[in-house]
Amino acid sequence: MKGLMWKLLRKHISTSQLIGFSIANLIGLTIVILAVQFYNDVLPIFNDEESFIRKDYIIITRNISSAGAIMGTSAEFSDEDIADIEQQPWCRKVGRFTSSKFSVVAAIGGGSSPMIRTMFFFESIPNSFLDVDSTSWHFNPQRPQVPVIMSREYLSLYNFGFAATQGMPKVSEGEVSSVPLNFNLSGNGHYDMMGGRIVGFSNRLNTIIVPDEFMRWANARYGTGEVQQPLRLIIEVNRPGDPKIQSYMDAHKYMIAGDKMASSKTYYLLTLVIIIVIVIGVLISLLSFFVLMLSIYLLLQKNTKKLQDLLLLGYSPAQVSKPYVKMVFFINVAVLVASIVLMLLARSCYMPMLREMGTKGGSIVPALIVAVVIMGAITAGNVWAIRRKIKSLWIQD
Amino acid sequence: MNTIELRNTLPAVFAGREKNESEVWLQNLTFEKGKHYLISAESGTGKSSMCSYIYGYRVDYSGQFLFDGQDIRSITVPQWCEVRKRQIAYLPQDMRLFPELTALENIQLKNQLTHFKTEAEILPLFEALGIADKVNSPVAKLSIGQQQRVAIIRTLCQPCDFILLDEPVSHLDETNNRIVAQLVQEEAQRQGAGIISTSVGNNVKINVDKEFKL
Repeated sequence: MKGLMWKLLRKHISTSQLIGFSIANLIGLTIVILAVQFYNDVLPIFNDEESFIRKDYIIITRNISSAGAIMGTSAEFSDEDIADIEQQPWCRKVGRFTSSKFSVVAAIGGGSSPMIRTMFFFESIPNSFLDVDSTSWHFNPQRPQVPVIMSREYLSLYNFGFAATQGMPKVSEGEVSSVPLNFNLSGNGHYDMMGGRIVGFSNRLNTIIVPDEFMRWANARYGTGEVQQPLRLIIEVNRPGDPKIQSYMDAHKYMIAGDKMASSKTYYLLTLVIIIVIVIGVLISLLSFFVLMLSIYLLLQKNTKKLQDLLLLGYSPAQVSKPYVKMVFFINVAVLVASIVLMLLARSCYMPMLREMGTKGGSIVPALIVAVVIMGAITAGNVWAIRRKIKSLWIQD
Repeated sequence: MNTIELRNTLPAVFAGREKNESEVWLQNLTFEKGKHYLISAESGTGKSSMCSYIYGYRVDYSGQFLFDGQDIRSITVPQWCEVRKRQIAYLPQDMRLFPELTALENIQLKNQLTHFKTEAEILPLFEALGIADKVNSPVAKLSIGQQQRVAIIRTLCQPCDFILLDEPVSHLDETNNRIVAQLVQEEAQRQGAGIISTSVGNNVKINVDKEFKL
């Protein structure tokens, strides 16, 4: 029966129309799911989700005006300032940044002949503000080795600035712990050399962080013993987006550090661009859907008499629709699979770039779901149209 | 299905016509299973319309058609499919064969739906009607008379309570007319089916219980 039905009903099927639909739909669907996938892959770069520091911390500095610098107004936070912040309802606790009061020279890479030798500085914050594995985040003066968390900016600076122009190899975040690092610490009549190790990178801590216990030890050994008030504070807040925080900071001329504002603008623009791309993709898919619809209508129109004769023999509308439903189903599944393959190919082209920026990329599940949902909707629309058209042939008045 | 009744039926195109001499239109009459009826008519009096109403693919009439007392307007599409497969065997005047299929494929298309006759039962019918050599020819290549014989074989490939023939022998000679009449009557008798046949002059040579003038 299948053979005879298909022999009858395949007549007037326009291969070129179906190919046209398939290509158009393939392009539309690929654009949509690639945009969704790209968005997912890029998102982690904008979300400050990192393992060292949780989201509900903000870092503040005093606003340094040029007038203030001339007048000698201090950029430090006094004990009264800190006490006042601690009394604010949005504040859970305040941590002080401690700076190094000694000279540090870092030698990065190469062992005896390092690639870079540079003046360095350290800061520390209380351990309770950090979320690091305690076995790697501690310091033992008997076997000195300094673990550091670096700003991710420094790695970018090295990779895209230094390495790129000096013909040096780029370093990924994964490889960075294997780069040899040595610190020369001096002051107060002492001079020591000790190894260092980068345990990770942070977007939010725009500095070089070492463990608090190392800082206390080193300041005591190499420092002058003079107590300095902190230049930066880290505050755990109830709700980072609370407008009261911003108004308090404005009133006291404090600045919330970090690239939060800039990144949220970029993030907004990215979202906007992705939405535009998705809309274009959906429009192409929609147009291709109408091309297929038109092609099917034309086909059914040309085969009207045959379809009616089959109905007269006792074939049900569902049986008569079946060859066309099957045809649409196979085409759409093929387009779906092809578009997923294309998306994955395109993804494999851009992922190396994203990996250099320090993200592993997002899950592909949302893009797959979007692909299946769109194709499902298109197929359902096609099948509905076929069934409706064939039902309309039942009465032959 | 035991009866097909017409209650005051009239094709929509005849509405408002002043005089009605028809023994079918605007009358009450009943076709019973097992009996043979001939509807003789002049051209344009609505016999093909009547057949299409009974077969459920046209509804442009007033009045009622009843199958076993049930108004056929209330029959659903799936039920109509069953009627067409198991209760009414219909030969349309324009035959409705598929010209691109061979004669045998045309028969198979129906028989694969009903599984009523084996190929061994079908081929002797071709033989009997003198078109055994056309079994594998595309229908488009057959003469009208040959096509009519293929369509008759197809009509017989299903279980039924009524055989509805719309001018079954209009393109056949006397000899073939008799053969067709014999085949149809045999099949009707085997199944206990009624026969309703229309004609504009060349009647199929069956024994008729009742004749109506349309």
